[in-house]
Amino acid sequence: MDRQIKILQDKNSYLDLRRQERVTLLEILDRALEKGVVISGDIVISVADVDLVYLGLKVLLSSVETMERLRGAPLSGAAEEPT
Amino acid sequence: MRLYVYAIIDSNPEGIVLPIPFSRQKSRDPDLSGKERTNSGVEESIKGLSEAPVYTIPYRDIGIVVSDLDPQVQIETKESILKHEEVVEALMDRFTVLPMRLYTVFSKKEDMFLKVKNHYEDFVENLDRVRDKREYGIKVIWAGDIIKERIINAHKNESPAHPEQSGIKFMKEKFEKYKIDKEFEEEADRCIAIVDGFLSRHASEKKLEKLKTDNLLLSASYLVDNEKRDDFKKAFEELKSSGGDLKFMLSGPWPAYNFITLSHSVDGKFGGPDLIETILQHKDPEKKEGRDE
Amino acid sequence: MSKTVETDSLEIFANEMEKVKGALPKKIEANPENAEKGLAKLVLTLIELIRKLMEKQAMRRVEAGSLTDEEIERVGETLEKLENKMKELKEIFGLKDEELNLNLGPLGDLM
Repeated sequence: MDRQIKILQDKNSYLDLRRQERVTLLEILDRALEKGVVISGDIVISVADVDLVYLGLKVLLSSVETMERLRGAPLSGAAEEPT
Repeated sequence: MRLYVYAIIDSNPEGIVLPIPFSRQKSRDPDLSGKERTNSGVEESIKGLSEAPVYTIPYRDIGIVVSDLDPQVQIETKESILKHEEVVEALMDRFTVLPMRLYTVFSKKEDMFLKVKNHYEDFVENLDRVRDKREYGIKVIWAGDIIKERIINAHKNESPAHPEQSGIKFMKEKFEKYKIDKEFEEEADRCIAIVDGFLSRHASEKKLEKLKTDNLLLSASYLVDNEKRDDFKKAFEELKSSGGDLKFMLSGPWPAYNFITLSHSVDGKFGGPDLIETILQHKDPEKKEGRDE
Repeated sequence: MSKTVETDSLEIFANEMEKVKGALPKKIEANPENAEKGLAKLVLTLIELIRKLMEKQAMRRVEAGSLTDEEIERVGETLEKLENKMKELKEIFGLKDEELNLNLGPLGDLM
């Protein structure tokens, strides 16, 4: 399950917000989460999903490497039996 | 200690690089004949995340607005978001502001300077472009569900069912949906053109997003010069009164979140050809960079 | 500091905007337990992209009348198989349609 960034302590407190606050918060999020000056800090708190694509690909590559290592051979052309 | 970055600002119009009261650095007051004096007593620095004082780190003729952030602190909270926005808005009154995306954090000052250095020309260009302008958000809701119903019903009587091959049947259904969506979008475009017609003449730039949901006809941002602010608001009022069934929301003034353009819109290794290069490097053990996030 | 958010229809806007964002951004956790699911999501998202593009292209060709009946039949059969296969895979990995999208930050959503 994707870990959801808990922007609010719990869902109920969000619904408790007055409508005005909800909409204002949504308007802020609409801007500040993806827009503005978009450069990554060196700490990836990772809100923009471009980081996620990179992360996903890293995971993909790691998985491939791990699998190759476990099999003891590169994936392409391997004639081993599965362990 | 981390640095949380709120915004990039231009220098004080009088040419003083370190804006009072956000700077921790000492200022030189010519009246005191070269004696240095601190900023304390002028105004208290505004507070940012975790109530840390906000200050400016100068870089050439621009300023990087930051506050210190304890490494342990969780910042994905509503409070942080509101604080971020509060700081940015306080800056907006005094300077030209390029707001940072939320959660731009650096553990090393040097890395921050490197990023700022890489984008310096971009920042200057953006500052010039958005100077004395504010962003306004316009959202419009229409009865999308009802309009779609209407279109669907209009299409219903068109092709009587008769035995068909499965592939053709599939395509027919898809095609009908395609036609319905297309007509729906054309209707939306017509409506949006009317809305935009009222507003865009008072703006220097605009960004329009249509149909983020079926009912959210338009989500738009307009960059409006301060001098045209009243004209823009008047046009919005006119739009509201002639808008029929449409529902409107105006928000602002915001700093120019939607109008920042960086020549490398995605940073460092995360975009375009760099991404492919990074993947290839990762695959080849000899070329591994060992860059960690 | 005169920020305003003004509208006569707060509730309606709140609801629509929440649909768009879900109000809570998501993050793929790359730990062993859900690395697999994160991976599946990424792969399926890309396949969906291609599938939708192909479907759209097919529709344009039908609209332009540049396909023979036989071609329509064959393309339809293939697209249908593909759609069903994707439904299966989504079920297997417990992924919903809305989840198969990528937000590319300043570039907007992938689909």
